[in-house]
Amino acid sequence: MNTTSYILSSLSLALCFLTVPILGTAQSYMTESGHVEFDSSVPLHSFTGVSDHLIGKIALADSIVDFYVDVHTLETGIGKRDNDMLRTLEADKYPFAEFYGKIISDFRPLNNQPRKVTVKGEFAVHGVSKKITITGTLQKVRKEIHVEASWTLNMKDYNIEPPGILFYRVSEKIEVSISATLSSN
Amino acid sequence: MRSQLKFYLIPAFILLFSIQSFAQMERKRADIVEPVETFWAPTLITQTTTETLQARNLNVTIMHSFGIATSNVVQNFFGLDNIQNVRIGLDYGITDNWSIGIGRSSLFNVIDIRSKFALLKQNSDNSTPISVALKGDFGIVTQENRRPFKDDISTFSSVIISKKINKQISLQLSPMYGYFSSVDPGNQQHLFSLGIGSQINLSERFALTAEYHPIIGEKNRNTNNAFSMGLNIQTGGHVFQLFFASTRWHLEQYAMAQNSEQFWAGDFRFGFNVNRIFGL
Repeated sequence: MNTTSYILSSLSLALCFLTVPILGTAQSYMTESGHVEFDSSVPLHSFTGVSDHLIGKIALADSIVDFYVDVHTLETGIGKRDNDMLRTLEADKYPFAEFYGKIISDFRPLNNQPRKVTVKGEFAVHGVSKKITITGTLQKVRKEIHVEASWTLNMKDYNIEPPGILFYRVSEKIEVSISATLSSN
Repeated sequence: MRSQLKFYLIPAFILLFSIQSFAQMERKRADIVEPVETFWAPTLITQTTTETLQARNLNVTIMHSFGIATSNVVQNFFGLDNIQNVRIGLDYGITDNWSIGIGRSSLFNVIDIRSKFALLKQNSDNSTPISVALKGDFGIVTQENRRPFKDDISTFSSVIISKKINKQISLQLSPMYGYFSSVDPGNQQHLFSLGIGSQINLSERFALTAEYHPIIGEKNRNTNNAFSMGLNIQTGGHVFQLFFASTRWHLEQYAMAQNSEQFWAGDFRFGFNVNRIFGL
């Protein structure tokens, strides 16, 4: 085999292989307007932060789940508190809260009922990444997938110092939940 | 044999890179432009800042000033035994740019109604490089003094211009005008000042502040330009402002009109403000 025919054959073969991820893309679902919220509590008071800028992608072909949100889009209803939160998260330095992992539970073709799934991967915020396992639901609705999940985040695990002074401190444990409808790519 | 190995290896590498490029989405920052937080509270020490409340947010402030810290230090415990003035105030955000408020000072039982409107807000993308706000205050002395109501009125107005220079330093200039409906002989009914304020952030939680009220034109008798310096402590809910000040007033028109102490001569008092914002 001479060099030219070898290169041509290699490229042809690679092109065939490349169709595999392209097919994978065809089975992936995406959103740029998912909902994420967290519940936090301070003595005698609790508050919720929300964002509708959750970006996510689920690729069924290889079971990949990829979500992230720019923490600057989180709002708690009090502008001053939003600024405090961004300072605590060092948002200029670490702008994203993100999860990247794989569906590890048995995952049969979806029907219209919500199906319980377990995903395992890395959750990162404040520049610290930890392996976590999250249980949620996936529901196929026509050409879309609706996903819901929630878990508890311990701020200490991510080197986030709960704001406060003396006895007045935000609870270290934050309840995080996401809800998103992803459209077929 | 070696040629055959290459035949399979090269496309395998190409395949590997193609899978990796698909694997994780590129992280993109949200396209949002936000107002910059120039100061940590709507009030620096006595001076109003350009910070406005978000719509439907209520700011509760409690402001205290004590006696002169440097006279009769032991007997008066650095002036803490002599509470001079306490102002309790509420401010409410009607919109993100307009707030109204009411407060009561224990000194002369002055009740004041005030409003602030943000004309410009410095933006995170620097498309608006400065913040500008207008402030008005209407004060009434409610202490019994056998004077007609019309003699108990004072007003205050200012244009507040501020800029956050960098992550650490914020500066503010406030041309201000105070009016008193009735004054003692020799005192001024109309007072002008160019307020100067600054904040230096030491960390995410602590900041140093200073403010000065130099009077432009004639001052009242036995009155000096008011100066204060303080430490802000931010706790994720409250902003505590501990300060040393020459004036015992928490209203700007009175800080211009009545301040007999000279800060740099050692005549200063301790005081503190507590700010707490609630979402309604």
